[in-house]
Amino acid sequence: MKQRILNMIWQPETFLIVLLGILFAAMGRLDASFLQWEVQRALSSHVWELAIIAIPMTLIILTAGIDLSVGSVMGLSAITTGMLFQKGLPLPLACSASLLVGIFCGFLNGWFITRMKVHPLIITLATMAAYRGMAEGISHAKPVSGFPDSFTWLGQGDWFGLPVAAWVFAVMVGLVLWMMHGRAFGVGIYAIGHNETATRFSGLRVDRYLVALYTFSGFASALAAVLFVARRNTAKADAGMGMELGVITAVVIGGVSIFGGRGTLIGACLGVLLIHETREFVSWHWNRDELNLLALGILLILSVVFQKLLRHKQGSAL
Amino acid sequence: MTDTTTANTTPPLKRALIFLLSHRAAGLFLFILLLLGIVSVVNPAFLEVQNLKDIAVQAAPVCIISCGLMLVLVSGEIDISVGSMMGLLAACMGAMVSESRGHLPPGTAIVLTLGIGVVIGLLNGWLVAYAGVPSIIVTLGMLTALRGVTEIVMGGSWITDLPDGIRFLGTGAFMGVPISLWTALGVILISLWLIHRTAIGRRIYAIGSNPHAAYLAGLPIRPLKLFVFAWTGLLTGVATLVSVPQLSVVDSGIGVGLELLVVTCVVVGGTAVSGGLGNLSGVLCGVILMTMISTVLIFMKLGENATYWSRAIQGLFILGAIIADHWISRQRKS
Amino acid sequence: MDIRPGEVHALCGENGAGKSTLIKILSGVILPNEGTVQWDETPLPLGRVHSVEAHGILAVHQEPVVFPHLNAMDNLFVGRESAALRGAWLDKSTMRTKAREILANLGEELPLTQPVGDMSLAQRQMVSIGRALLHQCRILILDEPTASLSARESESLFEKVHTLKQQGVGILYVSHRLEEIFRLADRVTVLRDGAWVTTADIASLNQETLIQHMVGRDIPSKQRSDVPSEDSEHRPPVLEIKNLSREGVFENISFGIQPGEILGMSGLVGAGRSEIARAIFGIDPFDAGEIIYLGSPLSKGFTIQDTIQAGMAMVPEDRQQQGLVLPLSVETNLLLPSLSEFQGPLGLKPKPMRATGQSLIEKLGIKTETPAHPAHSLSGGNQQKIVIGKWVHRHPKLFILDEPTRGVDVGAKHEVHRLVRELAAQGSAVLLISSELPEILSLSDRILVLCEGTIRGEIKGNEATQEQLLKLALPEETRRSA
Repeated sequence: MKQRILNMIWQPETFLIVLLGILFAAMGRLDASFLQWEVQRALSSHVWELAIIAIPMTLIILTAGIDLSVGSVMGLSAITTGMLFQKGLPLPLACSASLLVGIFCGFLNGWFITRMKVHPLIITLATMAAYRGMAEGISHAKPVSGFPDSFTWLGQGDWFGLPVAAWVFAVMVGLVLWMMHGRAFGVGIYAIGHNETATRFSGLRVDRYLVALYTFSGFASALAAVLFVARRNTAKADAGMGMELGVITAVVIGGVSIFGGRGTLIGACLGVLLIHETREFVSWHWNRDELNLLALGILLILSVVFQKLLRHKQGSAL
Repeated sequence: MTDTTTANTTPPLKRALIFLLSHRAAGLFLFILLLLGIVSVVNPAFLEVQNLKDIAVQAAPVCIISCGLMLVLVSGEIDISVGSMMGLLAACMGAMVSESRGHLPPGTAIVLTLGIGVVIGLLNGWLVAYAGVPSIIVTLGMLTALRGVTEIVMGGSWITDLPDGIRFLGTGAFMGVPISLWTALGVILISLWLIHRTAIGRRIYAIGSNPHAAYLAGLPIRPLKLFVFAWTGLLTGVATLVSVPQLSVVDSGIGVGLELLVVTCVVVGGTAVSGGLGNLSGVLCGVILMTMISTVLIFMKLGENATYWSRAIQGLFILGAIIADHWISRQRKS
Repeated sequence: MDIRPGEVHALCGENGAGKSTLIKILSGVILPNEGTVQWDETPLPLGRVHSVEAHGILAVHQEPVVFPHLNAMDNLFVGRESAALRGAWLDKSTMRTKAREILANLGEELPLTQPVGDMSLAQRQMVSIGRALLHQCRILILDEPTASLSARESESLFEKVHTLKQQGVGILYVSHRLEEIFRLADRVTVLRDGAWVTTADIASLNQETLIQHMVGRDIPSKQRSDVPSEDSEHRPPVLEIKNLSREGVFENISFGIQPGEILGMSGLVGAGRSEIARAIFGIDPFDAGEIIYLGSPLSKGFTIQDTIQAGMAMVPEDRQQQGLVLPLSVETNLLLPSLSEFQGPLGLKPKPMRATGQSLIEKLGIKTETPAHPAHSLSGGNQQKIVIGKWVHRHPKLFILDEPTRGVDVGAKHEVHRLVRELAAQGSAVLLISSELPEILSLSDRILVLCEGTIRGEIKGNEATQEQLLKLALPEETRRSA
């Protein structure tokens, strides 16, 4: 029993919680006003988009894949909403259309990966350019604004004290946790990440899993785009620029191994929280954004170095 | 399904297509000619010397970096940090020579800039080859981190006072040909020598072609990978030195998106992302084609909005190259 | 054993005798657990390929180790460029001349500019051998060098072997072609079941005695189950293969398996047995022929998921890479193909899963501390039981086993055999691929012997002998003269 408790404690997620605790304590001492609920809530307005995209990204990285096109899908979906709105389409329809665009883009990624057996890295690098390019080309890089309040409420308003986007995120996390935890789907994802061949030979429809995941990623990116447009009251082709780096970094820092098979959604969420709080605090207290970029890049590389070391230690058994 | 029967039954059109795609330089060259033909009919001004010269000058730095990136891909890795590297090197160079900042002599600045490029490349290479971090992660992290360092170096303001010594690199000419073109030529020649005439070149291809065989043959895989990244860093420094001084202002946004352009040129130019395959002539054609495109769009009188499609075209070209490679390997198998 | 300068020393033994492992040790790929290799009476540092090569021991492996994107010239020289280096330049003309010279000596005119990956297997073999010859070697290890060579190419190879002999090079020659061995070798060492059996002058042996040494073990009194196999002549076959072919791999394969029958497939490595099994299961493709399963032909482009749904099961050759997801628990691995059964609205039902897992563990005799322990913590034999066990639960109608007791200790081996017999007794048709002659003899009702992609013989299980099986498995020329 003691062993089981020890096993539960000795997880990357625990370290993250401890790290977060230390971080909050340090932040509190340096600048107590940062930790106020109102401040936190206001600062969090934009992180929900990243968090939503981080959910399917976690699953994808668990299968030892990657999706670099999430930011671009966001841009394409954003301008879809904007331009259809401009053409006079009622917003619910415009948003549905942009969700469909996201689904289609994600499905295309998945199709290329499973049909043509090209590594997800290469395909999503290419679609990252293609989708963003289409967004720029179709919209001529012109922004659309002037959305009605009923719509911008989605991105700026609250619902029972929390931003609407936070609720969307919470629902998604809940759903995915339900699908993953203790369900065949979850076991399948981890199995694929550990050993795709053996999983295939055990009868699981690996291709279906992968296509589903990348399609989900496209959907989440489109959803984030809708929230983004609502929050900023502007639909631009450069929505989500650089998003892929933030999402991947957050997920990897959250303990999800880039090599697949290891990590949890909770860990990824903690990773998002960690990155968000660090970023916001640096801006709040020191007013220097440049450090963020530097820190983000270094954190990404260091986490993977750390993961590799962990693998080496456990690797002797494998 | 023996070889002889397929050779007889494949329609000539298909065979021609397979040939053009496998011998990428040939196919691209024809395509470029075709494009030139179309554009010059629509707008003869395209073929004017000044315009072609402008395109060449635009292509030069891309060409220089592509020579390095090609070897990275051939060795089985990838590097998407070159754009941020250029941004940082530009900022460093600017800060070093600017009369209001470093005020260093141009010669020193040149050497230091190249040195920083090599150091960053070595760091990339070390993380990939010795620390075992996947190259996509290393260069993705570098892409961000270096952009941050660039901001720090720039300190929030732009650099506008580059001394003439440095500006000459970008705007000067020798025998009527801009320095950047001479440099690109030099880099191409050195790369040709490196690839075809040195042991290092052959070994890089070997590593990418069959890593396991390379290990069995006792090839020094890690030092070689370290080399290709350092080489790319150096070449990025060279490219920065011959292109940035053309601008009157050095800002922190230099090089954004460059990595995508370079990767597109290299992949469209026939370099396999899985390693072991790639030739310089194909990459050169890829560079010419991709840098031509934005100018072509302007000259085709397709309207002012045509240039917005540049990135989409890049993306479609990469996708096309990937699909083409896939199709060829399937044809080969049968 | 020892190798003398200027001798051709043959190494013989059936599959799994240990030849490949010995060669891997000698060529520096792996380290031995015990023992030393002496070179001119000083211990040889093992474990690093190029330090072993520096001493002059070069190996040409069965699967040609080449760089597919490079041309023949580069393949020969990469890593050993000093031979052609003039300062900073690779002297291409020297490379070309030398390359042509070496390849010509091997009797091959190869285009020097074509990527080696586009060449035939035989040509790639030539390149691989040429690469070894470029280096000054004192011992050359040839592992099945003529396996994919034509008669003419083989002749050139023999001449080269002779030349090297004259030059004082010691040659370790591994081959199943007994005729070649009797032609080329001075001495022969026989391995069996991982142990040295004998080293003798070739003159003192003939083919019969050599085969005897390779095979001669106490043939156990037929450990065949006393349960009479059911009279299955009137039952429709579970599987019927008609003229199955895949170019270069297997040709015109036709056979059938009845429910409850164990069909053994015997033959040497490379005979095509695993490829046929994988084609049936849906992993590998095939060019022509029909697979009729449970009376109806399988539709074109069928996948693994289809065959598994239809009631097939396969225990692959490589259990660690293909049969198990090592980091996952024993229980998860056992239930992986059947997860959907346990899916409830709130999640996988832990109680039924645990119960089924536990019963499988008991039934198969899997020794693990707890079902939650990761699969990689188990011994090879127990891991293999997991791979078998995960299918047992589904009562497959066709059970394909590819080398089920490879790397498994004696005790576990008996248990696996017991399991296989039980599967058949319960009505599954079993396709058993094995390189272990005693195993195949004791389990099979019928035995097919494959050689170089075709079926060379079919023998009833209780009538076959080990010598018979090995003879049928050996390549053509040998058989005719034996």
